[in-house]
Amino acid sequence: MTGQASQGARAVAVNLLGLVEHPELGDTPYRVSADGRPYVPTGDGGIVLGLRLGESAFGRDADHAAPGACLVHPDPAARHALTIYSCIGNQATVRTGQAAGARGVVVGKRGELGRVVVSFDQQDLARMRPSDQVAVRTCGQGWRSPGFPSEVTLLNTDPAALRWLPITVDGDGACVTAGVRAILPSKLAGNGIGRPAVGWDLDLQLGGSAAGGGRDGRADSGAAADEDMLLGDLVAVSDLDARFNLGYRRGWLTVGVIVHGASPLPGHGPGITPILTGPAEVLQAAPDQAGHTGLTEAVLRLLTVAELLRQRRATAACRKQV
Amino acid sequence: MRVASNAARLVSQVLAGEVWPALADRHAYRVGPDGQPFALPGMGGVTLGVHCGDPATGYASDHLEPGASVRHADSGANMALQFLTCVGNPVEVTTGPAAGAVGHVIGQHAYVLVDFPDEAMAGITTGDRVTVTATGQGLALTDHPAITVKNCSPELLACLPGGTTADGRLEVHVAVVVPAEAIGAGAGMVSEYANTDLMGAYAGLGPDLSLGLEGLRIGDIVALEDSDHRFGRGYRGGYLTIGVISTGQCLLFGHGPGPSTLMSGPQEAFRLVTDPDSNLASWLHAAPEVSR
Repeated sequence: MTGQASQGARAVAVNLLGLVEHPELGDTPYRVSADGRPYVPTGDGGIVLGLRLGESAFGRDADHAAPGACLVHPDPAARHALTIYSCIGNQATVRTGQAAGARGVVVGKRGELGRVVVSFDQQDLARMRPSDQVAVRTCGQGWRSPGFPSEVTLLNTDPAALRWLPITVDGDGACVTAGVRAILPSKLAGNGIGRPAVGWDLDLQLGGSAAGGGRDGRADSGAAADEDMLLGDLVAVSDLDARFNLGYRRGWLTVGVIVHGASPLPGHGPGITPILTGPAEVLQAAPDQAGHTGLTEAVLRLLTVAELLRQRRATAACRKQV
Repeated sequence: MRVASNAARLVSQVLAGEVWPALADRHAYRVGPDGQPFALPGMGGVTLGVHCGDPATGYASDHLEPGASVRHADSGANMALQFLTCVGNPVEVTTGPAAGAVGHVIGQHAYVLVDFPDEAMAGITTGDRVTVTATGQGLALTDHPAITVKNCSPELLACLPGGTTADGRLEVHVAVVVPAEAIGAGAGMVSEYANTDLMGAYAGLGPDLSLGLEGLRIGDIVALEDSDHRFGRGYRGGYLTIGVISTGQCLLFGHGPGPSTLMSGPQEAFRLVTDPDSNLASWLHAAPEVSR
């Protein structure tokens, strides 16, 4: 049981509207770090300038900073739907404001109230403002890749994006292998555990350098914890099942894309949007600490070009019929 | 517990709450570890027949909250109630047929959870008002500066076996030691609110889901390995957190019986003694109907 459509069913695309988020803070500016240090969180939602896929997840003194603009919706139910149905690789188009017409690509999502993270060119981001309307062509949730073994669940991934990610199916279709930066033990799974994997990211409890606090000495797992991770990297977590809620299951593997950077908060850290989950016999991760390439800006450009070609072909076909 | 503390410097505050209803939505079902849909009671209202010392799992229930689940209708007042109330604080029913009944706080779970004797509980329902005499936040152990205490009333501290050892550690008796792999929902949240769900206690489900925690009982004092709850809840190798199991059976995946935090600090600051009787029922919540 995977909660997905039967194999071979076509994905449906649904246009949804998101609004560019304005960051929100409470009555006090301070949060408290894992070491008991009060800090003012920066970069937690909204439009973050200058942070791009391919940068270190530990490279900024910030809290959960994501590369691009976060989209939300004023109605909580619509916001959850926007978050759940948006998938990595979905196309987004700015509808209002100075950046109207700019195109972006969904690179992941964040949980609790729900946020969709969309990467844009930096000059477009600089023209965007909170409350700008952005249309998202959501597509992919619940879709099953025809070539995948039935035990492997794909989630949060646009069907068009799958071929550009380092994911391969072996010759007889019995096993899926994902190239990843690292494989982490499930005990480092933090905030997001116990929450629905279609709507939340999972924070990895790797000590961040955020807000000048150093790595906080928190990660002693010996499993690549001291190595770098880049925004957009694929990372695997062992003994974690993400078919429904995220939870511990021995002998299982979950692969996700790093969607935001580190956090000083205890129980938080760089977050992955889960994209693959399955038993370790049929879903494997091939770690390459030095040479891994995950979701990059080059992949986003390819996806945008492919979408524009698809639209052109569709328009041409339409004219022919007329 | 034989330990020096600042208990005499703490103040008590009188807080108000009301027994809060169970909450559901029109879709009814939530989803278990294997995708099984379920609609099960346990959160909110007054959950009867489960007390400290009873098994935490083995019920047709989800997020089982023993006893009365209490909130305040005003959001700011509610956070004060949730943050300031400590395990062991007395709670008196002030309205309804059970008015005058007194119970004790056993933990937090986004509700303050209050265990009453069953005969009192029979007369309590949602909407009944209660008074909490809150004491304990700010409690500190004079000779153990590396250990942070929270959600622990001075009365509970006095009841706990153990105390300062000859080599300067804090001896704590725990019923169960929990591995870091078990930490589920609640990671990353503040440790004065709700609790930490433990995975690996889905009684009756597959061995691939088990972390050997099916024997937990409500009220058990437990130690969480590699957990630092001093400033919120997170993983930190070499740290220990002491908690009390305040909620029970879960079917929702990534959730499970949960400890409310009592103490946290570096592992070397503690001396753990495994003691199956280390349970609130031994001190504050005698449950005569349970043979122990």
